[in-house]
Amino acid sequence: MNIEFSPELEAFRAEVAEFFASAPTPAIRESGRKTTSVFASFKECMEWHNILFKKGWAAPHWPKEYGGTGWSVEQRFIFAEEYRKADLPPLLPQSLGMVGPLLIDLGTEEQRAKYLPPILDGSDFWAQGYSEPGSGSDLASLSCRADPDGDDYIINGSKIWTTYAHHANRMFMLVRTSNEGKKQQGITFLLLDRMDYPGMDVRPIVGLDGFPEQCEVFFDDVRVPQSGRVGEENDGWSVAKHLLKHERGGGNAASPTLTRYCQRAREAAAETPSPFGGMLADDPVFQQEIGELEADIASLGHFEKLAISGHEIARDPAFPSMNKTMNSELVQRASTMMMQISGVDGLARQLEALRVGSNVEPLGSEFDLISMPLYLNSRATTIYAGSNEVQRDLISRTIAMGG
Amino acid sequence: MDFNFTEEQQMLRDSVGKFFEKSYDFDTRQELVLSDAPWSNEVWQQFAEFGLLALPFSEDQGGLGGSVSDCVAFAELFGKHLVIEPYVTSILLGAAALAASESESAQQLLENVQSGGTVASFVFEEGRGTASLDQIEMVASAIEGGFTLTGEKRNVLAGAEADILIVAARKGEAGEPALFLVRQGDAGLSSRSFTTIDGRSAANITFKTVPAEEIASGRETVERILSQAIIAQCAEAVGAMGALLSATAEYAMTRKQFGVPIGSFQAVAHRLADMKIAYNKARATLIYTTALAESGAASSRDMAILKGQTGKLGKAVGEAAIQTHGGVGMTDELSISHYHKRLLALDAQFGGHSYHLRKVGQS
Repeated sequence: MNIEFSPELEAFRAEVAEFFASAPTPAIRESGRKTTSVFASFKECMEWHNILFKKGWAAPHWPKEYGGTGWSVEQRFIFAEEYRKADLPPLLPQSLGMVGPLLIDLGTEEQRAKYLPPILDGSDFWAQGYSEPGSGSDLASLSCRADPDGDDYIINGSKIWTTYAHHANRMFMLVRTSNEGKKQQGITFLLLDRMDYPGMDVRPIVGLDGFPEQCEVFFDDVRVPQSGRVGEENDGWSVAKHLLKHERGGGNAASPTLTRYCQRAREAAAETPSPFGGMLADDPVFQQEIGELEADIASLGHFEKLAISGHEIARDPAFPSMNKTMNSELVQRASTMMMQISGVDGLARQLEALRVGSNVEPLGSEFDLISMPLYLNSRATTIYAGSNEVQRDLISRTIAMGG
Repeated sequence: MDFNFTEEQQMLRDSVGKFFEKSYDFDTRQELVLSDAPWSNEVWQQFAEFGLLALPFSEDQGGLGGSVSDCVAFAELFGKHLVIEPYVTSILLGAAALAASESESAQQLLENVQSGGTVASFVFEEGRGTASLDQIEMVASAIEGGFTLTGEKRNVLAGAEADILIVAARKGEAGEPALFLVRQGDAGLSSRSFTTIDGRSAANITFKTVPAEEIASGRETVERILSQAIIAQCAEAVGAMGALLSATAEYAMTRKQFGVPIGSFQAVAHRLADMKIAYNKARATLIYTTALAESGAASSRDMAILKGQTGKLGKAVGEAAIQTHGGVGMTDELSISHYHKRLLALDAQFGGHSYHLRKVGQS
């Protein structure tokens, strides 16, 4: 066992920090500071994506031949740590973290050549069409139909919780192509080249934090080419399961983000009076709580580092579900702590001040501006990508198999 | 980064593991715990043959030049098999303190401990536990040519049987912590022996002006010695957690109520999932912290995270295992309760998880 601490790595850290200090525009920085979700503001996020692309750093977790960086485990973690320290907006996961890696693994040569370059440079943004009004945790029960017609499919039905579909120019989705046999057997994985096919309608849904992050997408006799299929017809479930590994397993480490939340909480606690006297940061109960939280975040970080290094702990079939469960629950704990520190200063609804470029001065500190929306938004983390109840079902099944 | 055991470490792990599978099954272990012997001398000699007793010491000092990850490689098995032999106290603490000393008598004793002829005991904890070096109350008073120790120590593993005691005390009333050598049988020493809840032989020891020789001093030295032992002890905890997870999973899949395996109930299945998450968290932190320590980079915060997490998660896994087993989990007959008691003991020593996790929050 060993962990490298070389001067070269420190030089790499300095190079990354220097780039993050100089490359982002003021709007990109503002977007990063005001991010209260996994999903940062779209426009600035994509601008930053393109800047990183030009530097060659847009997709560190991709294989080098497709535009990855070829970095060591240490370098990838240093990159993630510096990224969060600089409060930069995280790149959107649907293209780079989901459909991109999926196409690298399972796409045809043509699909890779057509779709990967614009994913990498950020000129395309993909929406993920999975959930339906009647199919959430029981995703395989989905009923949005695609009927073959010549070289095309005709799609009818709807998708929901389609994050940022109103910003997307492409979409990957699961459709029902057969009702024969088990429900998993009649599903097909499709790539849609456009979001404005005739008969397609995208309606944003305003969330509990006041933002239209999620969407509903309706299909009324939408004609799309069959060449957009990944894998065989009716074999979409195995394609989707493969993608879920990327979605839940995460090519990018989450622990640096969580560590950053704790730093922000500590900074705020240091200037918040405790009702028992002194400052909250010196309160033993606060110290106990943040200590437990940071230790759990450290353990997730260790788990992630082992995984990125290729350790067998990540070859456990339960790895993606364990990773998703830990990460999502820690986001909730960290944001809960932040919201509770803000107290009544978190109660103002400040949608304009949160909008990047609004030039509206927040009522209180920037911490109080983001803590409540972050808390509210993070209620979703244990619901999306397969609810944590489903994750625990999956984990327990691997135990029954002898894990 | 490389977090894997080397081929050599894997081989050592395999051979020690095979020995335990063959000669240290749970029933044999229980007979040993209930016998008059504090532990098995045959097993101790077997450790000597495997090279475990000499492993952590440099070749100059007659050892095998092993590293902390070498120790982790087999210490997990101590937890898996609920080993009661005093490896950590005698080798990783007592003998490690001797190894830090330059005195010739200490070097001689170190050789004897490595050969298995002499057993050392590390005398550290005081009333209700000693979480930090600042809590040590025992004072070593300087006399001509040495020191004397007065005070009481608790839960000293192998404390009544060991040939030599390595005692943590402050050097003078306001002094820094240091380690002192005391020989068993000295006038002024009195012990009350007992068996711990996890089957080990231990003693509370009272010191009345007991002559002592200083063998290691300085906070850094003492902390370095403690760190290596705590990592091995946490490996033991992770080994016990892994054993509990597989035993509980097997039980949940075979025990039937209402005509079906209880593991098919979601409430039980989700508890198993949480046990698996807890085990993997503790294991990841153990492996990562071991690699950090191997690179000389484990900070006191890293150590507090490791000790706090294994303590807290170990207790949770033990309690979940008992609940899942129901009535039989409450019995002395099954290994489940014994694993839980081992995990409780490992948590309580060198500061419980509440202390360590608050320390993380303070730092």
